[in-house]
Amino acid sequence: MLHPHRAVAVSGAAESGWDAVRIAAADDVAVALRDLSGTVRVLCGAGIEEVALAQPVPFGHKFALADLAAGDAVRKYGAPIGRLTRAVRRGEHVHVHNLKSRRAGAGG
Amino acid sequence: MVDPSFLGFPRRFGRAGVRNHVLVLGINGLVAPAASQAAARIAGSRLVATPYGRGQFGADKALHFLQLAGIGANPNNGAVLIVGADRKSADAVAEAIAQRSPAPVEAVTLDDTQEDAHELVARAVRAGTRLAREASHGRRVRLPLSELYLGLECGHSDASSGLAANPLAGAVADRLVEAGATCVVGETLEWLGAEDALSARGADGTIGRRIAAAVMARERAVTAAGVDLLGDNPGEENIRGGLSTIEEKSLGAIAKAGRHPVTDMLGFAQPPSGRGLHLMDGPSYSPESMTGFVASGTQMILFTTGPGNSYCSLIAPTFKLSANPAACARLDGQLDFDAGAVLQGRLSLDAAAGHLLAELIAVASGTLTWGEAAGQGAECFTRIGPSL
Repeated sequence: MLHPHRAVAVSGAAESGWDAVRIAAADDVAVALRDLSGTVRVLCGAGIEEVALAQPVPFGHKFALADLAAGDAVRKYGAPIGRLTRAVRRGEHVHVHNLKSRRAGAGG
Repeated sequence: MVDPSFLGFPRRFGRAGVRNHVLVLGINGLVAPAASQAAARIAGSRLVATPYGRGQFGADKALHFLQLAGIGANPNNGAVLIVGADRKSADAVAEAIAQRSPAPVEAVTLDDTQEDAHELVARAVRAGTRLAREASHGRRVRLPLSELYLGLECGHSDASSGLAANPLAGAVADRLVEAGATCVVGETLEWLGAEDALSARGADGTIGRRIAAAVMARERAVTAAGVDLLGDNPGEENIRGGLSTIEEKSLGAIAKAGRHPVTDMLGFAQPPSGRGLHLMDGPSYSPESMTGFVASGTQMILFTTGPGNSYCSLIAPTFKLSANPAACARLDGQLDFDAGAVLQGRLSLDAAAGHLLAELIAVASGTLTWGEAAGQGAECFTRIGPSL
């Protein structure tokens, strides 16, 4: 396998700069870049926000960046990805237990 | 600077090959075992033997024929041996292949041997051996990237796919399109939730409307069946990887399509008439989707995954890319490219796209993918109706 990062000089600073990323400015959730727990640093645009996680969030999973109400649309990539089935606080894990598709008859 | 050319097998018409297979094509299930026995005795041959091909009717029959002819006409084939039951349908497939490909085609059938399967295998081996020798006269020459037609597929996506692997694949698709090449993205259901952005990229208004209609037709089929997509799409691997809904998966998946306008939306297995970025209206199960690409003429497939997915096309070298650091550490020898540095912000998308394009060009020029080196590959036929 080609590991391109081994072929170029990279500063090690960026690697430890953040634990999660908000993909688009309008997003309600951030994505964990490794298995996370406790207070984590989220890359939001050019800045870093600290978020206290309510529970451990595995690699690739999402957590809320704001308090959200049941029925709210959740945005990722700047677009709606579903609707909350119950209220979620900032720092809570957002996944199939509290987020449902609005398409293909799944969520109406 | 990436060398904007590759070493491929030029064809008298149509695109060049990145491989020079001798394809043994079993055109119905009755002769699949004979085709398999013959292929085992023909040096370097590739076997595609459909289990179907009889008792079909209407659109399902037409689509099966289109898949057979398209797989046969793929430019990666330097010669094609058809193994059939009746002479008439074998000749029909041979003729359809010959219209789209200059590769030599021969057909052997049970009609010719009065149903004697031993004799069918013997004749297939003799014809196939002749074709293998003939195809071996092919030589690679330097060709422009505009000869390439790349399929973009994803399988077992996780959140790293949408964050890094798919945007990276899209960046490479953009570079290829800018070099005059052709790309295709399929899996209609995985445009659901992202169809507005895709439709807006149609090169003209009718394409956008057709994209939206194709998504709506799939969504209606799901709704009419009364099934919940959750657990199927997103599937269990997707859910473990953090993807919660089809909308979320789609928004990550369409990043594979890069940023260029959509030249056209193809029907399943339909060859493109122009260059640039294409969509293909087809199933989201990767083996079927990829066979649609192969039948449409793609010579290579760039396949993004999160936790890993070993499935490869038999005809089109399938290059595996992941940005999931744990998967890349675990699956050296299965994944061809580690995009973890892009996910972690240690390497820019642009720099990674340069490395990835150089690797794809090497594969186009003959370097084996891990899937090829492992001897794994298959094609999977789509059915769209019941048998008679």
